[in-house]
Amino acid sequence: MDKNTAVLTLKNLNKTYDNTTAVDSVSLDVVKGELLCLLGPSGCGKTTTLRMVAGFVKPTSGSVLIQGSDVTNQAPYRRDTGMVFQSYALFPHMTVAQNIAFGLQNIGFAAKAQTERVHEMLQLVELEHLSKRFPAELSGGQQQRVALARALAMNPAVLLLDEPFSNLDAQLRVRLREDLRALLKRIRITTLFVTHDQEEALMFADRVVVMRSGRVEQVGSPAEIYETPATRFVAEFIGWCSLFEGVVDGQGVFTTGKSIRLPLDHKPGPATVIVRPEYVKPAEALGSGPVFEARVTSNTYYGALCRLRLDVSGQEVLMEAHYPYGHGPSIGDRIEIRIDPKGARRLPAH
Amino acid sequence: MQNDITDKVMATLGVFVRATVYVMLILPAVIVVIASLTQGDSLSFPPKGFSTQWYSNAFASTPFMSALWTSTKLAVTATVIVLSVGSAAAFAIARYRFIGSSLFQSIALSPLIVPVVVLGLGLLQFLSWMGFSQSYLGLFVGHLIIMLPYVVRTMVTGLLLLDRTLEQAAMNLRAPPFRVFCRITLPLLVPSLITAGVFAFVTSFGNVTLSSFLASSGTVTLPVQIFTYVEYSYDPIVAAVSTIVIAVTAVVILVIERAVGVDKLF
Ligand SMILES: Nc1ncnc2c1ncn2[C@@H]1O[C@H](COP(=O)(O)OP(=O)(O)OP(=O)(O)O)[C@@H](O)[C@H]1O
Ligand SMILES: [Mg+2]
Repeated sequence: MDKNTAVLTLKNLNKTYDNTTAVDSVSLDVVKGELLCLLGPSGCGKTTTLRMVAGFVKPTSGSVLIQGSDVTNQAPYRRDTGMVFQSYALFPHMTVAQNIAFGLQNIGFAAKAQTERVHEMLQLVELEHLSKRFPAELSGGQQQRVALARALAMNPAVLLLDEPFSNLDAQLRVRLREDLRALLKRIRITTLFVTHDQEEALMFADRVVVMRSGRVEQVGSPAEIYETPATRFVAEFIGWCSLFEGVVDGQGVFTTGKSIRLPLDHKPGPATVIVRPEYVKPAEALGSGPVFEARVTSNTYYGALCRLRLDVSGQEVLMEAHYPYGHGPSIGDRIEIRIDPKGARRLPAH
Repeated sequence: MQNDITDKVMATLGVFVRATVYVMLILPAVIVVIASLTQGDSLSFPPKGFSTQWYSNAFASTPFMSALWTSTKLAVTATVIVLSVGSAAAFAIARYRFIGSSLFQSIALSPLIVPVVVLGLGLLQFLSWMGFSQSYLGLFVGHLIIMLPYVVRTMVTGLLLLDRTLEQAAMNLRAPPFRVFCRITLPLLVPSLITAGVFAFVTSFGNVTLSSFLASSGTVTLPVQIFTYVEYSYDPIVAAVSTIVIAVTAVVILVIERAVGVDKLF
């Protein structure tokens, strides 16, 4: 298959419940082997979108295409999708091996082929030693891997993951998602993945779709989404940032509040500018850039770095800096900072 | 310290209350069993001497044995029928919103609320109007009605507690609806079905009121037979018959416990 043909296409997908619009004209293409992530706050319609792809929710309008054929009106059990549910949904009355074999029986695998495939899948997720256990006898992380093996055994055209890490503790989550990403890349499976965790989306996805109240707000690579957000909502939802409302003059200098002036671009007029906190540094830590006097309003220690809220003549500025042993400035201290002009991003006007 | 003492007192009291309840529950059965082993020819406790003659008498008594057979046949067949009818009704109630669904549920559960005497009287009149009175069929239908609410209630609860994402997961693994039902839904409902079955069986097997309204000479159930027997005579044969019933029930419960575990039942 051509590398750029879409394995999954959503065309103008809508879903309305009584009087709430859960999904509002969503259109997407997911290409072969791509990890696409739907990211957005709770209730923005991520799960509903995923369930429309799997066939558990019937769209109010629009269509779903898998490998070029329209499946909008096809029953879930005829669709070539593999879903890993948030709760994993392992069959409690079947062993791990039986859980994985269940789907294979439905598509007519002979007994011997089943055993082989089950074994292969268990090897893939490194759970061969647990094949005879029941789901209740597994840890959360192990259950997640069984659910994954069960879905992958069917070799589906599209893998659907609904917040697969949300039931795991923080440490396990970080490790498992790196492992999972490597595995999915290795077998080159097309994946649609749902999360409300921006960090997870950035590290996991090839492309991120940011959703807000049922609509697509921005589509782009993790770097595009983080560095050049298309809207204020995306800027604020992904990570931390300072937000400035101001104007750009004829010389291309952006001015906001009483004292902040930053060289920007040459489109004069009102502008909204964001600056990520890693572009703001204590004056001595950054060689160039304008210096501003700031008052510290909060300083939170995160180990590798401290996050500071600063007041620059009435304008809130966020800064991330490394202070060994957390010996940073205290609330009320006055410090000098520099803002790296490279980090100032103008949001597109609307 | 204060709390520790309170805790200890409460714990001791708890054990005491539990023990009392268990004794109260088991004592009547124990007394019946002991009384059935008497040598004398009237029911008494403590029994006079030891013999098993009343068991031989019980097994030799045609009225008791045929009543036991009638009761068993009735309870078993009615349980099978009511499990299928009641589960189907429970499916409709738990899974679908239809016009009049709450009315439907209320009707299915109403035999729990209507006194059995009233139900018996009504059924007797209705059945004789239909020309079915004093027949096995009438008795059978009456029993189905009083068993139904237990089955519907248990199965509705079981269905509502069943995680539907499991069925969706099965569908996602390419299982068509009937296969999902056979491989996922039904196996997960087995504990509910057994609970419902036990409730239904016991309701039918122990019923006196309804059966005395609907029974005829050919269809006397065991409880009715015992009831009429003790009106005229007070010999220990009823204790022996009761002990047989207790033994059968205990064996059934034990078998089920081995099969699924009683803790899963209720
Ligand atoms: N069956 C339903 N009936 C009515 N409204 C629903 C139903 N399912 C979802 N909704 C509504 O649709 C919207 C989107 O829900 P959805 O579950 O897709 O959100 P989500 O993005 O997955 O959120 P979360 O991150 O909390 O899981 C919500 O406002 C929700 O209340
Ligand atoms: Mg969701």
